[in-house]
Amino acid sequence: MTSSSSTPESRPRQGMDYGESEEVQQVHAAIQREKREPRVGLEPLSIWLIAVYGLAIFFGGAYLGRFSGTFSGDSLDPALVPAAKKAAAAGPGGGQQAAELSPAERGKKVFLANCATCHQATGLGVPGQYPPLAGSEFTTGGSRRPAMIVLKGLQGPVKVKGQQYGSAVMQPWESLGDQKVADVVTYERSEWGNSASPVTKEQIAALRKELAGHPASFNEPEILGAPNEDLPGGEQGAQQQPSAPPQGSAPPSTPGAQPPKP
Amino acid sequence: MKGFTSLVLGIFGTLAFSWIGLAYIPNLQIGHLDPQMEEDGSDAYPVPKSGMAERGRRVYVANGCFYCHSEQVRADYAGADIDRKWGDRRSAPRDYIFDRPALLGRLRMGPDLSNIGKRAPAEAEAAASPAANASASPAPAGSPAPATANPVTAASTPASSAAQSPAASPASAAANPAASPAQSPMATASPGASPGVTAANSPSGTPALYSTAWHYQHLYAPRSLNIDSNMPAYRFLFDKRHIGGEPAADALKLRGNDAPTEGYEIIPNYDAKCLVAYLMSLDQSHPLKEVKSMAAPPSPPAPGKAPQ
Amino acid sequence: MMNSPDPLIGPTEIPLRAPASVTDLTASDADQVERALIDASVRVPVLLFYATAIAWLLLGTFLSFLASFKMHSPDFLSDVAFLTWGRIRPAQMNIMLYGWGSMVGMGTAIWLMARLCRTTLRHPLLLFVGGAFWTLGVFLGVIGIFIGQSTGFPWLEFPSYAAVVLFVAYSLIVSWAVLMFRFHRSDPIYITQWYLLAAFLWFPWIYLAAQVMLFIAPVQGVLQAAVNWWYANNLLFLWFGSLGLGTAYYMIPKVIGRPVYSYHLAAIGFWTYAFFASWTGMQQLVDGPFPAWMVTASIAAMILCVIPFATVGLNHHMTMRGYFPLMRYSPTLRFTVFGAISYTAFAAIGVIISLRTFTHFLHFTEVSVGYSEVGLYAFYSMIMFGSMYYIMPRLVGREWRYSSLIKIHFWASAYGIGLMTLMLLAGGFVQGLNMDNPTLAFTESTQSVLPYLRGRTLAEILLIVAHGVFAYHFVLMILGLGRAADVPTFLNPLEPDTEELVAH
Repeated sequence: MTSSSSTPESRPRQGMDYGESEEVQQVHAAIQREKREPRVGLEPLSIWLIAVYGLAIFFGGAYLGRFSGTFSGDSLDPALVPAAKKAAAAGPGGGQQAAELSPAERGKKVFLANCATCHQATGLGVPGQYPPLAGSEFTTGGSRRPAMIVLKGLQGPVKVKGQQYGSAVMQPWESLGDQKVADVVTYERSEWGNSASPVTKEQIAALRKELAGHPASFNEPEILGAPNEDLPGGEQGAQQQPSAPPQGSAPPSTPGAQPPKP
Repeated sequence: MKGFTSLVLGIFGTLAFSWIGLAYIPNLQIGHLDPQMEEDGSDAYPVPKSGMAERGRRVYVANGCFYCHSEQVRADYAGADIDRKWGDRRSAPRDYIFDRPALLGRLRMGPDLSNIGKRAPAEAEAAASPAANASASPAPAGSPAPATANPVTAASTPASSAAQSPAASPASAAANPAASPAQSPMATASPGASPGVTAANSPSGTPALYSTAWHYQHLYAPRSLNIDSNMPAYRFLFDKRHIGGEPAADALKLRGNDAPTEGYEIIPNYDAKCLVAYLMSLDQSHPLKEVKSMAAPPSPPAPGKAPQ
Repeated sequence: MMNSPDPLIGPTEIPLRAPASVTDLTASDADQVERALIDASVRVPVLLFYATAIAWLLLGTFLSFLASFKMHSPDFLSDVAFLTWGRIRPAQMNIMLYGWGSMVGMGTAIWLMARLCRTTLRHPLLLFVGGAFWTLGVFLGVIGIFIGQSTGFPWLEFPSYAAVVLFVAYSLIVSWAVLMFRFHRSDPIYITQWYLLAAFLWFPWIYLAAQVMLFIAPVQGVLQAAVNWWYANNLLFLWFGSLGLGTAYYMIPKVIGRPVYSYHLAAIGFWTYAFFASWTGMQQLVDGPFPAWMVTASIAAMILCVIPFATVGLNHHMTMRGYFPLMRYSPTLRFTVFGAISYTAFAAIGVIISLRTFTHFLHFTEVSVGYSEVGLYAFYSMIMFGSMYYIMPRLVGREWRYSSLIKIHFWASAYGIGLMTLMLLAGGFVQGLNMDNPTLAFTESTQSVLPYLRGRTLAEILLIVAHGVFAYHFVLMILGLGRAADVPTFLNPLEPDTEELVAH
């Protein structure tokens, strides 16, 4: 489909004769009337445009600097987070990161996830079935016994606070890991009106090694056979107690406050 | 020709600059994250999804669900996502390390789904009382006023579901409608996925919100659960079968125009099951150390009950 | 509109207003022959690209209408798997991007490159095979989406078997472009050639980078979304934007016969565009699970993009100054200037909706869809239409037959995209306000945007009319049924004193 659109005679030939080829097509009208190829002028930049550039660079740069957090990979918030909103959200109960929880608070989470089913969140247990932990001589005495029970479990009849229990079996919780066991025992010993010394994970680790050869669960005589003392090595957590554990069954009472772990 | 080389170099250089800045450096920063774990290796988060859930992700992608639904929760200062109970905290890069593709989404013609699995009722409740739940279930109505007036909403949880956040279990066993005061404001601001339910449908027969049965019915006939919904129906994910002997366990309970003709039942096909498995696996509630958790304060523990 | 009957007054002798520049204004005889040869040599490939592009345009516009309709009437045709909205939407987008947009851009670029390099088409086989493979790739990809094998990445949904075909096709085409450049005889390199060369070189790199980082050696987690949006944004700015700007830089000065206003502005506009536009993209991920600096860098780049957008806009404006009335007559000029003005609007909207102050309630709404439409249609497609109105007569030797059809095309397109933009931006705004208010149920936000989506469907109908008319007109041209004339088809009868100025 060459330019045979209009008959040749209605189109003025350009008189070209380059000798290159006879079939130099008729230059159809569209090309004939076409203007030359575009070219560029050389007007200078206007000062106003440069002012616009400057403004754009300034604002762009300022924006970049202000809202980039710390330019690091874990800085998900731009720096300017309204303080009021953050404070409000971090208010009652929410907004605490795991790293800032105290041992008792961590222990509470462990307790609720694992122990509350039987011992109840109130620590009161279920009469006849699950012994209470609140005010129990086992939790408020030395830390060795409750730690042993948590690590290895308990089965068989047991008397707590004058009541007889024995139908249920408590499973061992060795799999929880030293920190969690320490936290939950700390929690038990400081909640529901209990105020006994906390337990650290080093103590639990040592106890675990000590009990390594022991088969699964303890029973009551074995627990009662263990000294009612605090586990050795509690200098990190205890406020008042020296490293030497006290003898005797009088529980060393640490009034109230739990020392915050760093 | 002299300008050609510098032109090509400039073209290459400017694109390389942006590629390094926006693709390469972020890859160095957040491209090789590991799951968060306790020291002893327990409690890893996130974990790869199960086979059915992964296949469900394929179904999700194939049907373009991500064009309307997002899967990212914004921080509280950036949007109303947390106020709408779409999550306890904002999403972080670590939440998505096993997602391929990571379906963040960029439009919300439908609500955000990052925690839709977490907001499902606990299995026992969903199975036990599909009918009784409807009255307690999504009273978070379209208008705030009736919702606040409804004390039965989001009743306190029984001990067995202590792990659920309060707003996540509207479908509580109707046995204990002791609404704690902290929960009504949450009910007002709740996801509002089905404001019209209690009004439009009779209390019996509507599955618990975000349970698997609810998802099946929502995929088959969205407007039977929420007349304001704009979601298309995905009937091709279901089979219509003649009822043989007994109705199948997972047959949809439909009414009105949606119900099949007499003697037939609608059951989800395997793609639908995988898709719902995927949806039920969407849960970003696990706390991450790098992100502040915005969980609403837990209500004071009533005797015998202490929600987490 | 009629053949000049007097053989003594040929078209080259039309009396001009500025006699001193008579010989300057129209091409010399040698140039004309050269151009004729060039046009003849590129005729078939360009027509093939155009014809395929228009076919995809028709299909894409229809699917676009269907998708828009289903958004507010979700039960329409929802029982069939391949007609579900979630499959039609990506199919439609990909057809418009790779079927229509890329093919028409490449067709125009072929002609422009040939003309500007002042060389006839060499290695035409590369173009034929490349074009055929490209169409095949798009076809395979669309089928793949309909049968449920979309990849899940917006604007990259073609399954890998289609992507491979596309990439092979593209390699052929880009090697052709580079080869052409080697033979070019014009010195210095004109502005359009910068943009076209840049577009041709940028596209394979962004496409390859995206394919590698998403499918071949996938990056982890959220970075997939980052790479996805880096690619999508660069596709819009660096591929379509460059093709559109390059074309506008040719068509505007060519039609009005005046030089581009300033070389300095053009150079600054080009390099700052290359620099900053490629850094935008992450603002689609604002407040998402990303380091804040990534998103802010993109927003800052968007602010800095004011520089190239303002520069190019000013350049075009000053070039056109005094000649705006010519838009009344020339279809090419009308479409192209519409596109160029939309370019500035595109920038302004982009900066505003990227700022964190507004993303708070504009994110996740239809506003981002409207913004893409302004870029893809109001800017790019309109400029491409303008270029087709200019180039087609040179390829088929006939003029466009009916000025009324051109007018219908223009006004239906202009009103269509105008209505669509208005509906999506306003609807998205309302949607965002409602979504940001936690006391309202979520469905309030979707309900509030439905009326606007219905308006958008109306706009889609206008676009169907526009494209249908254009396709019909194009078919007439291909069949040789255009007007035989010496003067182009003007949209309105010429005033006596403008005739010579618009003899393009």
